[in-house]
Amino acid sequence: MSGSALRRLMAEYKQLTLNPPEGIIAGPINEENFFEWEALITGPDGTCFEGGVFPAKLVFPSDYPLSPPKMQFTCEMFHPNIYTDGKVCISILHAAGDDPMGYESSAERWSPVQSVEKILLSVVSMLAEPNDESGANVDAAKMWRENREEFNKIAQRIVRKTLGIPT
Amino acid sequence: MPSVFVSGLPRPSLKLYSIFSAALLSCSVFYAVQTANNNQGLKNNSSQGSMFSSLSNSSDTLVHQLKLSSSSGFLAWALNVITFILQDPLSIWAVINAAVCGLILTAKTVQVLVFGELRVVEMQHLKDKFWNYLFYKFIFVFGVINVQNMDEVILWYTWFVILGFLQLLALVCKDRFEYYLFSTTPTSWNHIRLLCLLGAILVLSGVLLIAAIGVGFFGGFNTFAFMAAECLLLALSVQHTLLRYLLHLYNSRGNNSWSRGHLPYYAELICDLTILILELLHHLHMLVWSNIFLSMASLVIGLHIKFLFYQIQRRIKKHRNYWWVITHMEKSYPEATSEELAENSDNCAICWEKMESARKLPCSHLFHNTCLQSWLEQDTSCPTCRMYLGIRPPPGMSSVVLSRDALNTPRRSRSPYHYFHFDGSRYGSWLPSFSVEVTHPPQLLRLDSMQSDSSSQIDSMARQVQQLFPDYPLSTLRDDLHVTRSVELTVENILDGRIPPPSPSFEEENGTPGEAPSSSSSWQPFSPSFTPTSSDVSIEPSEPLTTGSRFSKSPSERELILQLRKEKLLLAARKKYLDRQAATSSSGESSTSTDQSHSKVD
Repeated sequence: MSGSALRRLMAEYKQLTLNPPEGIIAGPINEENFFEWEALITGPDGTCFEGGVFPAKLVFPSDYPLSPPKMQFTCEMFHPNIYTDGKVCISILHAAGDDPMGYESSAERWSPVQSVEKILLSVVSMLAEPNDESGANVDAAKMWRENREEFNKIAQRIVRKTLGIPT
Repeated sequence: MPSVFVSGLPRPSLKLYSIFSAALLSCSVFYAVQTANNNQGLKNNSSQGSMFSSLSNSSDTLVHQLKLSSSSGFLAWALNVITFILQDPLSIWAVINAAVCGLILTAKTVQVLVFGELRVVEMQHLKDKFWNYLFYKFIFVFGVINVQNMDEVILWYTWFVILGFLQLLALVCKDRFEYYLFSTTPTSWNHIRLLCLLGAILVLSGVLLIAAIGVGFFGGFNTFAFMAAECLLLALSVQHTLLRYLLHLYNSRGNNSWSRGHLPYYAELICDLTILILELLHHLHMLVWSNIFLSMASLVIGLHIKFLFYQIQRRIKKHRNYWWVITHMEKSYPEATSEELAENSDNCAICWEKMESARKLPCSHLFHNTCLQSWLEQDTSCPTCRMYLGIRPPPGMSSVVLSRDALNTPRRSRSPYHYFHFDGSRYGSWLPSFSVEVTHPPQLLRLDSMQSDSSSQIDSMARQVQQLFPDYPLSTLRDDLHVTRSVELTVENILDGRIPPPSPSFEEENGTPGEAPSSSSSWQPFSPSFTPTSSDVSIEPSEPLTTGSRFSKSPSERELILQLRKEKLLLAARKKYLDRQAATSSSGESSTSTDQSHSKVD
């Protein structure tokens, strides 16, 4: 079974290398373990995360693509749908069986036809438009709703930090 | 945790230990030779007989027979020396020590030859298994067969040491094989070495089985059953690994059709079940034979039996699910015709590989037979359009339980500890209460499994971390501990740079963003080799990414290209950001000042 997972990951890696979506790079950190990737995601233009390059770690299960990978940002993040430890909470990463928030329809959840590229594109759109109903980071969700200006400032500080430009 | 305790003790290096053992052995041999020579003159059989201790009667008789058969004087003398060594209470320990040393050296050689450096996970597994094994064998020797005689203890332990050695080797082989599954780097030479080792273990376990049969003739049926069961278990598990390995190699040579065919599945099922049932019988045998039902030993064995029984139940349930999905698929979803395949020239959406044959769902989506089947084992909707397929799980299984069961292979879902609590006061006031817990050494604490601690606990944890990292303010550490709830995880976060260091740069940093980059290497959360300088920034971002347009065949080249692409992306993003900042410098300054105040609040 892991053999087919490895082949599929290799195919996805090849596709992401040959036709990369703009501002997204992903691949195994070290090919000795092909099931652990690092992805770089550029913050979408026209949003508070514009211009930032956010590193994240993707860990794939051995029965991928039957089960979804786990994704965790390795830089500091302040976002309603990202836990303070960097774990990403979006419906595409949830297996069909579990529903931690109790509001997602199964149509949005993981299925084997999803791919790394689709996950990363969903994360980009999540950066642009947070879903403040699912509170992975309640403080961020509250600030996003009530004090957008302050939220943008924090986002800008994080963007500079990821680029290596001191505040 | 015995392993934690032991690892704290100072241990001599292997070299020192082997020199010491060799010296000890040669000393005892020398002593034996001296004594044998002195005895030569007045030696007769009766005086020797009086020297014989009751310890090793069987070996004595063997030696005697050999001595009678050997006519040569030197051989008789050598046998004499060996007999003496075996009988002398001090020399025998030197011999045992030498044997242990030899075993360690063998292990080291095998490790260097086959595995190279062991990975951390393998090391951890090895340690867990070692202590577990020691514990269970201790229970077995003193709790189950209740050996009183020193000689028998030594014999049993010799047996278990050899067996345990092979079991640990088999475990490492299995770990390494599973690691190869996740990797693209191993060469065929790596595979050959690992396969050879697995084959050797299989042969050796056969030899041990023959030895067990031999001992069974003298020691009776029970001894034979105890010994043979362990040999068989070892042989079966090695054979299981070998089978999976060969199948994997066969598949990775490009034959996909086999990867989840019926034959490999049933081979695996039978292997799993045989191992589990054999182990169950072995433990039941122990329980029945030990006779003392109210001892700690029977308690431990009972717990293990319960665990094994649960495993068997799980495996059978999983198999029923599998079997049911197969029949349902064959009944409800027809094979796609060749026209349909030609019309739908896409690859299978699950494995991204070409479809030579496929099954068609009612929503007219096509998938590989095996791919579809493994998906349906855990979910009952079309992967592409999410159409609900209206499958009812077999009676007695709710669909959620079913999907969870299918997801978790029995090995992965194994609970980390067996736990037993006996509340004696419920039955009689004079009875004690106690808990038994067989724990495997420390697992990482999970965020979700923790309950909220009182703040005083967090404070003490924060102080603990602060002793290691005195620069970090207590409040920052406390914040992180609130999230991680574990000292280890917080320390890991600090080491990985996930907690921002309390750099005084917030106060000092007055320079404009344009000249700042040279001092900012510590801000890089990834790619430590990359230190931005102003000359790097000047690289043209418009330069075409030549590295992006090809996919190398060699893993190391791919890694390098990926690294380069990441650096380029970052540099381009930096340049773009700085350009924009320069364009709107006035607003940038005001935001910087407010950010500073915010950071101080953090």
